[in-house]
Amino acid sequence: MRNFPLSPRSLAALLAGLYALVLAGCGGSSDETASSDFPPQDITPEMEQHFASFKHIPAELQRALNEGEITQEEYDARVAELPLFFQFKTPEDIPADLVWEDGMDLEEFADPNAKKGGTLYAAIQDFPRTTRLVGPDSNGSFRPFLQDDVVMQFARRHPNDTSIGPNGFHYYPGIAKEWAADKANKTVYIRIHPDARWSDGVPITSDDVMFTFFFYQSPHIKAPWYNNWYSTNYTQVTRYDEKTFSITLPEVRPDFLGRALEIEPKPAHFYRELGPDFPERYQWRIQPTSGAYTVRPEDIVKGRSITLTRVKDWWARDLKFWRGRYNPDRIRFTVVRDTAKAFEMFKKGELDQFGMNLAEYWYDKLPDTDPDVQAGYIHKNVFYNDIPRPTYGLWINRSRHLLDNRDIRIGINYATNWDLVIEKFARGDWTRMDTTADGFGEFTHPTLKARPFDIEKAREHFARAGFTTVGGDGVLTNAAGERLSFTITTGYEALKDIPAILREEALKCGLEFRIEVLDGTAAWKKAQEKKHDIMFSAFGVFPEMYPRYWETWHSANAYDKAFLPDGSPNPERKVKTQTNNLCILADPEIDRLIDAYDRSDDAEEMKKLAWRLEELIHADGCFVPGFVIPFYRNATWRWIRNPEGFNVKISDSWIQYFLFWIDEDMKKETREARRAGKTFPVGIHVYDQFKAN
Amino acid sequence: MRLNPLTAKKLRRFRSIRRGYFSFLLLCGLSLISLLGELLVNSRAIVVRYEGKWYFPTYGDIIPGTTFGFDYSYETNYRDLRDRFRQEGGDNWLLMPPIAFNPYENTPYEGVFKPAPPSWLGGPAGHLLGTDTTGRDIFARLFYGFRVAIFFALAFTVLTYLVGITIGCLMGFFGGKVDLFGQRLIEIWSNIPFLYTVIIIFSVIPATFTVPVRIFILLVILVLFSWTGMTYYMRTATYREKARDYTAAAIVLGAGTGRIIFNHILPNTISTIVTFIPFTVAAAITSITALDFLGFGLPPPTPSLGELLKQGTQTLTTAPWIVSSAFAALVFILTLVTFVGEAVREAFDPKKFTTYE
Repeated sequence: MRNFPLSPRSLAALLAGLYALVLAGCGGSSDETASSDFPPQDITPEMEQHFASFKHIPAELQRALNEGEITQEEYDARVAELPLFFQFKTPEDIPADLVWEDGMDLEEFADPNAKKGGTLYAAIQDFPRTTRLVGPDSNGSFRPFLQDDVVMQFARRHPNDTSIGPNGFHYYPGIAKEWAADKANKTVYIRIHPDARWSDGVPITSDDVMFTFFFYQSPHIKAPWYNNWYSTNYTQVTRYDEKTFSITLPEVRPDFLGRALEIEPKPAHFYRELGPDFPERYQWRIQPTSGAYTVRPEDIVKGRSITLTRVKDWWARDLKFWRGRYNPDRIRFTVVRDTAKAFEMFKKGELDQFGMNLAEYWYDKLPDTDPDVQAGYIHKNVFYNDIPRPTYGLWINRSRHLLDNRDIRIGINYATNWDLVIEKFARGDWTRMDTTADGFGEFTHPTLKARPFDIEKAREHFARAGFTTVGGDGVLTNAAGERLSFTITTGYEALKDIPAILREEALKCGLEFRIEVLDGTAAWKKAQEKKHDIMFSAFGVFPEMYPRYWETWHSANAYDKAFLPDGSPNPERKVKTQTNNLCILADPEIDRLIDAYDRSDDAEEMKKLAWRLEELIHADGCFVPGFVIPFYRNATWRWIRNPEGFNVKISDSWIQYFLFWIDEDMKKETREARRAGKTFPVGIHVYDQFKAN
Repeated sequence: MRLNPLTAKKLRRFRSIRRGYFSFLLLCGLSLISLLGELLVNSRAIVVRYEGKWYFPTYGDIIPGTTFGFDYSYETNYRDLRDRFRQEGGDNWLLMPPIAFNPYENTPYEGVFKPAPPSWLGGPAGHLLGTDTTGRDIFARLFYGFRVAIFFALAFTVLTYLVGITIGCLMGFFGGKVDLFGQRLIEIWSNIPFLYTVIIIFSVIPATFTVPVRIFILLVILVLFSWTGMTYYMRTATYREKARDYTAAAIVLGAGTGRIIFNHILPNTISTIVTFIPFTVAAAITSITALDFLGFGLPPPTPSLGELLKQGTQTLTTAPWIVSSAFAALVFILTLVTFVGEAVREAFDPKKFTTYE
């Protein structure tokens, strides 16, 4: 749920789909540890101590203390009055008038007739550095297969009903049997499914939920982001009985239900040995899972392969929304470092699927005319999705000389030929991005369009900024002799041709772009230090209900003390580093809207505010919207089957919802047919029901 | 110019080794031609005759399209202009260079920027060796890549030798503490990992530097890490020559340090060093190519052999002309340099002295 820079590795993952993934070394052999290597340990006393003392401190109170508005004594007194975070009550304390819902009326999206069985062979580029689910190195590319896409939450957002109801999005049940929202008390009551249990057979209970909050708040897990999120975004968790609990939030935002339901509980019994040595102790242990797949210790072959195995008698296998999913018995991920090699392995049938997001692979290396495609042995699939889009575009640093001029920024908007990039580089597969928050459904501005490439308008705006003389090299200069020349910095090695194309086109408008392709980390560091002129980058976004503006556009993230008390710009303000406001945008009107947006609990009002914000950002011209990749693609052998329609609108990869299955008979049939030279109908499938316009 | 008879003899012998000598001439010729590259491989016309006026766009400022009756004010597309003149008939004409593309422009093939096969293999007209992954002419990129590489290598060689010979000679001549400390410093210096340094330095130098400045910085870094090798040879050679009787005689006669070094020791040690030159050039070309291949060399979009090779390895099956062109060009250049190197070594090798002529 965090707003993170879209690193080149996520970019690679995005572009190459399942295949091209993280840069990470293989697990070192020094990490070989058996649980017996560590002294016995029990976290229970510490947990009880924490239960008896921990409190949610309102941000307002903390701020007042930090800014000296109240004294330490006053602060302590106010804190003493606050209720404890962890509450233990009885079933009688549950309000009687709650309206319980269970999401069972939603439509099922998997194919209940999918066949179980078989092994899916896939490739990963690097071996995971740990099988821990939190803490150092755990946020790698393999995490979805250990956690995000496999582990169950209390309930999950329905993948194709994206309408916004009175309680926000629609959720289908996971670990929870039912839930009830109590908006007045900012609380969500949840009842755990009576059958819910971990893969080791232990039932999932409210005690696991209490533990989960303690776990995420604990410094032992060495994950500050989780520590902060679970201490500040929740105010209370209450246990009523073995299977019933409630979660209280500090405010009722339109998506508050999701914040409570989309939590993954942790098995308390497995983490009993939690302590300062957590990262090492749990480095290669496999947590019992609530989900369909687990990893057996013997299937971790470090540096070579890792295999998921279907949980025997998984408790949810026949439940609506979960049946027909997670079908293969085993999923074997082999480490293949070289993409070209993985492709050859796929063509030989050693891998069952290959990510084909790159145009080069889709059109040139495996064209529709390829013999295996023509014979129907290999199927090609395009899946259009509709999710919040990473913000690929040019982030113009407004604090730079010349770039502080609005006319120059607007001129740059007109001078960047993204349509050519989309048409000639992406072969028309991508679409133009129009706002900073494309793909947010109703929250996305309905009519705003990005400025097209227009030489006349670009020159007109540059002329208004004083750039009227054409230099000998075709670049405009102003009266002071300054050239209209800026640097585009990027960390995307795989997309380095894009700035090169933009450069050639911008020259036609009298604008020169210098290109700086840095290593991903170095480029991001430069942007975080706000040393860039223009950054070609993107922020990754999660399928949240509404976009975030504060991180990227609020003046609090642009300057230290951006404005004087009278509202005028502070002449001595300093650019604030290490924030996501890459444009250094500081505008009192925008600040006011963002503050109202962040306080609002009304989806309608927030929509209006979001649209207004987009209009103001558009008018300022500091962000040049780039492109949207509206799909993911892959190629599979014929025996890999997908449900009719593939109805998962908000998915970001083919594997994410585990809807496919392996048809062993077809596999045999195809192999024999291939030897005999028999062919099948060509399979090029386009799932475009979620394609925009 | 009067040459030392010994030197003259060496040159004569060099000339008599045909393969090396012709390679040398060919290499020099190619380098000179590459200096006139803008006239041979360029998207700008050499000469335009329009409405009774002469234009020479090759060098100098851009000529906006409006000058020739186009409706845009950015640089004229001379290939379009040529086609227009042909259609119109009339007295207007222009002369394009033999390869009418510059190394930076992307020309779409079948509507997208993707590799186009060479024109004689059914590719679009004009692209003798096809285009690379973003539709840039491979011949143009090889041609300018060669120009950058060869002059980079020459500058590298001159600088390396200047530094290496000076420091090696000083250590050998003065010996004692100078030698002792010099040697230790060199040992420490040569243990700094070169590749990491390049990566680190290139991640911190600002992009506001122009491409030539960045190339110069790369040159300086490469020289900084390469001069040490030369000092070892110079140091020992100087030690040896300093111990010879003629040096002692010069000292006895009262010659100054400078005179002894420049008039007596250097001329007698230099022959060993000269034989290394072509191999240093080859090494420089190889290392700049390797660095480009790894992505730490010349800043994009500078045309370079290494960058083409990298593209080629990624498109082995779909666009084999990229890798084959780049590979052939590299092999050709390195072979020429090596032939020159062999000939120089033979010509300067005193042991073979009697066997020739």
